[in-house]
Amino acid sequence: MNVSVKDWFKSGAPWVWLNAGAVSLCVIMVIGLLGLIAVRGLGHFWPSNVYVTEFENRAGEARTILGEITDEKMVSATQLTSAGYQVPDNMEYIPRQLLKVGNRDVYGQDFQWVLGTSINSQHSPENMIVLERREWGNFYGTLKSVKQAGEVIASTEKDGFEATWEELQQRIERALAIQEDIHDIETGAIGSINYGLERIRLKERGLELQGDMDPIKLQVLAEERAELDAEYDVLKEELNALYQQAQRDQVVVETIQGNQIEMALSKVVLAYAPNNMGVFDKIGHYFGKLGEFLLDDPREANTEGGIYPAIFGTVMMVLLMSIMVTPFGVVAAVYLREYAKQGTVTRVIRIAVNNLAGVPSIVYGVFGLGFFIYFLGGSIDQLFYPEALPAPTFGTPGLLWASLTLAILTVPVVIVATEEGLSRIPRAVREGSLALGATKFETLWKVVLPMSSPAIMTGVILAIARAAGEVAPLMLVGVVKLAPSLPLDGNFPFLHLDRKFMHLGFHIYDVGFQSPNVEAARPLVYATALLLVVVIAVLNLAAVAIRNNLREKYKSLEH
Amino acid sequence: MTDQMNNETPTHAVDISALGRDTEQRDLAKEEMCLEVKDLQLYYGEKRALHGINMKIPKNRVTAFIGPSGCGKSTLLRCFNRMNDLVDICRIEGQIMLDNQNIYERAVDVTELRRRVGMVFQKPNPFPKSIYENVAYGLRIQGINNRRVLDEVVESSLRGAALWDEVKDRLHDSALGMSGGQQQRLVIARTIAVKPDVLLLDEPASALDPISTLKIEELINELKDQYTIVIVTHNMQQAARVSDYTAFMYMGDLIEFGDTNQIFTNPGKKQTEDYITGRYG
Repeated sequence: MNVSVKDWFKSGAPWVWLNAGAVSLCVIMVIGLLGLIAVRGLGHFWPSNVYVTEFENRAGEARTILGEITDEKMVSATQLTSAGYQVPDNMEYIPRQLLKVGNRDVYGQDFQWVLGTSINSQHSPENMIVLERREWGNFYGTLKSVKQAGEVIASTEKDGFEATWEELQQRIERALAIQEDIHDIETGAIGSINYGLERIRLKERGLELQGDMDPIKLQVLAEERAELDAEYDVLKEELNALYQQAQRDQVVVETIQGNQIEMALSKVVLAYAPNNMGVFDKIGHYFGKLGEFLLDDPREANTEGGIYPAIFGTVMMVLLMSIMVTPFGVVAAVYLREYAKQGTVTRVIRIAVNNLAGVPSIVYGVFGLGFFIYFLGGSIDQLFYPEALPAPTFGTPGLLWASLTLAILTVPVVIVATEEGLSRIPRAVREGSLALGATKFETLWKVVLPMSSPAIMTGVILAIARAAGEVAPLMLVGVVKLAPSLPLDGNFPFLHLDRKFMHLGFHIYDVGFQSPNVEAARPLVYATALLLVVVIAVLNLAAVAIRNNLREKYKSLEH
Repeated sequence: MTDQMNNETPTHAVDISALGRDTEQRDLAKEEMCLEVKDLQLYYGEKRALHGINMKIPKNRVTAFIGPSGCGKSTLLRCFNRMNDLVDICRIEGQIMLDNQNIYERAVDVTELRRRVGMVFQKPNPFPKSIYENVAYGLRIQGINNRRVLDEVVESSLRGAALWDEVKDRLHDSALGMSGGQQQRLVIARTIAVKPDVLLLDEPASALDPISTLKIEELINELKDQYTIVIVTHNMQQAARVSDYTAFMYMGDLIEFGDTNQIFTNPGKKQTEDYITGRYG
């Protein structure tokens, strides 16, 4: 036996098992991580049934509530007893349900814990409705009637549930269309008018600062302004009319306790009756919600609606960062590897560059704030945007500074990867080029750099992976909870580098820790985390595809 | 190489008469000169690698450098187009005259020198570009981008390197897909595309199979009418086959330099005889 164990060790098999084990452990952990956030996050959009639950509260009074079951936990009996609950003696652990009951405007909170042992009955009757609203979260209850300007159009008592529901859906659709128009006018047309007015104001102020009070120029500006003002008045009229129309319809609903509530339909985003839906209806609803999550603006302090601006901001910032970091890192690496005399100084610089990669990212944020924003941005404002002062243009956190800060943060990675690539280009190829009368620069530019482009791309991939996941420095240099407009739009100069933006990583932090309703937002935290991983993966895969393409093109010489 | 030596005649490792070359004796003194090396000393750091070389390379002839490994023949060759400049610790004293101009003078434009003195290396080193772009590379460096001129030069250079017929249908394919022998001829085509005066060949066939080697040697024979060729080789048979003049180097010294027939049949120095009969090296 002894001998065979020894032989087994000598054969090397244990090492194979050890290595394979380590790899499997990594794979399991990654899959587990992705699985967890996927299940927790994606489950959020599924329209679960709502249950009418009858139970006794701590004081022993009978209560009825309506809501979705969102969680179930086992709690130790002693803990409950000490909290004042009546628990059966023979049980050590007692199940407890978390129900999402919504109606924050009525109850004051969205969630309620119910002890499994105190539940007398739980069933999911038909015709229970859920309303997603612009304020106060979801409403759970029953439908009473639909009104137009105070007149009852349809009521469940007279016309039955189906007809009233149909009426409600049609009117919600109409209200949504009006809301869409309002949104378009407000952000589109009025947005550009405001932008134009601001530009005129700045021009005027600029003339004033230059002491150029030429009445003709002022006249031209005044005319332009009058034109825009006239346009604005027209739009304002239109907008008022739309607001009037949006206020037309109301819906009357009743909570399970019997409180009747009347609310304007313009406040309702979506109405559905989960208990009446079949599987296919639910799947349709699910993908609708998923689409909304990906493509809509956030509502209600980011806890509802979509996260499109955050996706856009993240991708935009990473792309800008890559555009900045690549030339910067490559040029630095070329100098270090190709031109600088190799000695103590270059060695020290190399060590310093490698250590830069280990500096905590928040430190870069502080640096970005102090140097880029206050110093550089402040100076730019003084020099180029004096007319806007004291309101800062570039002297405030924004997309440009965030990208630049992250570029500084990731530049060591690109330098190291590029140097590695440069050092692997065979000497023979360089000499071949030099022997044809090329200068060192021509050799670098035409032969060496193209051949090291796959290595450069590797550096960029690593930089993207690091930058897309950073949150801490961004909080100092440009990310906000809610950005009023995207950094890319139809107003000249289209790309607004001075604007603040939203970011998925910060969104996770914000929704998870800063939102008024952390419990309700938790699934969104998982969903956003999953999306962040997906966005980074897509960006990385794109970079990997480019690298593989380059590798194929500049395949190293076969010897 | 030693095994091969033992099978040959005992006195001379290379049977010069069996190679089918002319037996006419050339006289170095009567040749028109192209390159002249004057008291060339080369140091790698503290170590002296070339000890005062003096020689004249004749124009439009093939001159071969032979000698054991580490004797300095490649180092000397790389002095002719200042390739040794790339080695940081390398220091050179003495002169090399090309058309009565010392190439080590400060005023000399190294890139222009390297255009005039082309070099082909031991291993084929095509660029990871198309065949066409490889040949056009030197011209593009000089700022020539006219399509018609490039087409013409690419064709004539590839014909000059006996490669045109093999690659004319795939000029825009990657050069890295060619065989080693083709790659080496491509490198020669690339070098002659910039119309150099001198071609330096640093063991051009040592990484190739016998058939490719033969093609390269035939090519050298064709090219010598237009170019002054200096070839470094380990293979004495090759030196005997392709060269007009042969220089034997040993430990950083030029031991003997003269007509190839004479070097291989009637060497003047004991060291040369020892080397070509296979006693060392």
